[in-house]
Order: sequence, then C-alpha cells, then structure tokens
Amino acid sequence: MDKKKQVILSLRNISHSFIVKNEVKAAVSDVSLDVYDNEFLVVLGPGHSGKTVLMNVIAGIEKLVEGKIYLRGEEIHGSNRSIGMVFQSLNLMPWRTVMQNVEFGLELAGLDKKQRRLIAQKHIDLVRLSGFESAYPHELSGGMKQRVGIARAYANNPEILIMDEPFGALDAQTRYAMEEEVLRIWKEEKRTVIFVTNNIEEAVYLADRIVLLSNCPARVKHIYDLSSLGRPRNMMDPEFLRIRTEISQNTDLAL
Amino acid sequence: MEKGMSGKHAIQLSQAEIREQRLNLLYKILPILSVLLLIGLWLYASRGYNPKVGSGFPTPAAVWDRTVRLFTAPVKKRSLIMHALVSLRRIGIALAFDWTFGIVFGIIIGWYAKPRAFFSPMFDAFRAVPPLAWIPLITLWFGIGEFPKILIVIFGSLASIVVNVKAGLSTVDRMYLDVGTVFNASPMQTLIKIAIPSSLDAIFAGVRTSTSAAWMVVLAAEMLGADAGVGFLISRGMDSIDMPLVLTGMIAIGIVGAILAILTQLVERLICPWTRKSK
Repeated sequence: MDKKKQVILSLRNISHSFIVKNEVKAAVSDVSLDVYDNEFLVVLGPGHSGKTVLMNVIAGIEKLVEGKIYLRGEEIHGSNRSIGMVFQSLNLMPWRTVMQNVEFGLELAGLDKKQRRLIAQKHIDLVRLSGFESAYPHELSGGMKQRVGIARAYANNPEILIMDEPFGALDAQTRYAMEEEVLRIWKEEKRTVIFVTNNIEEAVYLADRIVLLSNCPARVKHIYDLSSLGRPRNMMDPEFLRIRTEISQNTDLAL
Repeated sequence: MEKGMSGKHAIQLSQAEIREQRLNLLYKILPILSVLLLIGLWLYASRGYNPKVGSGFPTPAAVWDRTVRLFTAPVKKRSLIMHALVSLRRIGIALAFDWTFGIVFGIIIGWYAKPRAFFSPMFDAFRAVPPLAWIPLITLWFGIGEFPKILIVIFGSLASIVVNVKAGLSTVDRMYLDVGTVFNASPMQTLIKIAIPSSLDAIFAGVRTSTSAAWMVVLAAEMLGADAGVGFLISRGMDSIDMPLVLTGMIAIGIVGAILAILTQLVERLICPWTRKSK
C-alpha cells in the first residue's frame, strides 16, 4: 500500500437494526471499513441488502446506535458538514428552481446571496446545466435532475460525497452517460466518493476499490482493489471481464 | 391560393382526424347547449309569473329589470355593488384573521407534537359545532352590529384553514427532511426552509376552502339580521315578496363566489409557480 493513501473515514463495528412488527430485523451487521482520501469507493450489494441504511448511518440520517465512526481520526455523531449526499430518490425540492436547489446547503450555512450565487453557478456549470438555472425540477429529465442533485452536494464542499444508487432510476443510455459524468466531475473536483450500487458492471467501471456486501443484513464480504485496472476503463477489456466474473460469482442473490 | 391550400388540407385529413375535429366541435357546443337549456328551463318555469301578486317564478326579464332598478333606486341607500362590498368587507376582515392566526396555529399544531396533543381535542370539539349554531349565542352576547357578524364568519371559516395547514405540516415528506439533516439544518431552518414550503399547496387548499366557507357563512349571518349586504338583500326580497330581488341577490352571490374562487387560484399560481406542472 503506497504512502499517499490516508484514511479519511473509518467505520468500526457498525450494526443497525429495525423493529418490524415487533421483531428485530438486522439491516447492517458489524461493518468495519476504512475509506481513503480522494478514492472512488464503490459499495456493491444486492437489492435491499442494507446499503442505504449503512449510508444513512454515515450521513447521520439514521442514528448511530452500535459502532463508531471516525472522520480523520475524530469520532463523529450525527450529520456532519464534511459528508455530503446524493440521494437515491433525487430529493430535489419541487418549490425551488435549479439554482435555489443547488444553493440550499449554502443558504443553511448562512452564506450571503452573492457568495451563494457564485458557488452555485460554478457547480451548475460543472454538471453542465448552464441555462437551466431558473427551471423547476419537474421541467427536467431524470438525468438532469440527478445532475442537480450532484451539484447540490458538491456545492456544499464536503470532503466525502456519498452517492446512494444515484442512477438506479435512469435508463441504460442515460446511466452510461452519467457514469462518465461522475468520473469527469470526480477528476475535476477531487473528493472522496462513496458510490453505492447493485450493478456489478457499474461498480467495476467506476471503482478504485469495491466493497462487496452480503445479502441483508449487510456484512463486508470482500474488498477488491481495482487500482491495477487503470482508467479510462473498457468494459470489453479481458481484465475488466475477469474481475466482473469473479465478483459476480461471489455475489449473493437478491431475494 | 388560400382556397387551394385549404382544399389540399381537406383531402389530406384522415378519417381519424375528421372524427377528432367533430369531437372538438362537440366539446365546444355542449357548454353552450347547457346554458341555453338553463335559460329555457327558467323561461318555462316562469310561464305563470304574476308580478302583481308575486306568485310563480320571475321571468329573466323581470330579474334583469329589478337588477337595473337596484342601481337607480337603491335598497337602504346602497346599490347592488355596495351591498356586495359590505359583504366582502366582512369576509375580508374575517379572512385576514383566518390567514394569520389560523395559519400560524395550523403550523404549530401540525409541526409540533406536544401542542398538537394538547390543542387537537379542543379544536376538534370547536370544529364539530356547525358555525350557524353559534349565531344565537353570539347575537345574545354582542347584538347585531358588525363585530358579531365578522365573528360568525371567523367561526365558520377558521376550521377549514387550520385543518388544511395542520394536515400539510404533519405529513412533510421524509425525503425533504433527510436533505435538511444531511445539510445540518437547524430545527428552525427545517421548519421554515423545508416544512412550510413543502406544505404550501396544502396551505393554499386551506385558503381556497376558507374563502368559500366565509362567503357562505356571511350570507347566512346577513340573512338573520342585517341592514346591508347581499344576504340582507335576499331576506329583504323575501320579506317584501319581491322575488326578482331574491333572484338578483342569488345571481350576485354566485358571480362574486366565482370571482373569489378565480382570484384565489390566480394568487396560488403566482406564489407557487411550480404547481403549474403538467397534470
């Protein structure tokens, strides 16, 4: 392991359960994981495996009950300005324009209007939505909405960006295009990205490392280091296909 | 040239297009037919009208004459417009109270669980009594001036706005609240930047229903003892067996009610442009 790799986020023995109809149902079970600075980490797991729950715990949406989370060595509780999120279901606010949605986090942080505009515009340009600043979410296509979600998360300048199955609802064409976009933005605005998906091909295409989770409750099954694969990646590359097959043989079936 | 063009178009029209054109024409004709039928029924019903005795149903012409006369010979020194304005002023004051106190109260009991638990039974008990049942009590306490009438209108329209605002604030979508959590929103920011804007359509539903409720209740209040207002016009017409006056009042009520509905809709569109989405 080279010296440049610094741990930015550490999860230690995270477990999380819910009570469903008077029964305790475990969603995440004893997950420990180190995330490195500026890496593109993909969390891969079958549908409903508890991936989202794990991400919500990291982002502070779900309360941390078991285990510990360290951000650069400091223990954290609840939501943190350094951790941003691109949501699975977009979660754009329909009453806000594209500009106002991107500005949202900055507005909460108390930045004045001029600063907000400047930062938001920069990120709208970054995700290539210039010209749509005053459009409302319902006027945008699925891919464009997801771009707004990405711009909103980036604008708040988090150190770590969680993307929870952001392209699950997109058609295949748009999905490929958006994967390219995410890589381009990640290269332009270096940040640690934790990208959640249930799509093996997407995981191998994007990741520096892949954390393979088991079926519900989510456990870390295996961690794959893909740094040997180089970028940009070719889905027809023999090495790409070998890793893809290896992972797929190791994956639990979703129920 | 034009003729040739249209001829060419006519040839190109397919069977389906012709059918669609006919259907569109039908949709334009049906509303006109409906209005004509209404006038026809009115004419038929008013065939035995005798203005001298006041028996039967007044003719459209008689109602029109009475409406015009209301401007030249006002009832109680007020023309039809003035009477309508008196009624509108009453609901205006009542609605101003509804839309301030009612909205704030609705937000409080919709968003905060403890006030909801405390105030809900009280509010539900108040809401269960129809507003008109308050009229005797309010009249005994406050007489028949302006204040008791406005109070009756408030009693009759406050519940609808409170209920709608409360419903909106108590069902804010979790996914918007999650965004606030991730961005570290304070409790106040969550309320002002997320919960209230996401409830604006519910709040406007309350504005609409409270407006129509206020308009209904003010007429009832005026019919039971007033010397001005559209409701008074109707009861005056009834007392003096002036049926055209009753009908003039009824039509005026309908028109003002429709205008109020259109106005609230316009304001909603202005304030919530995102709700104009394709339905």
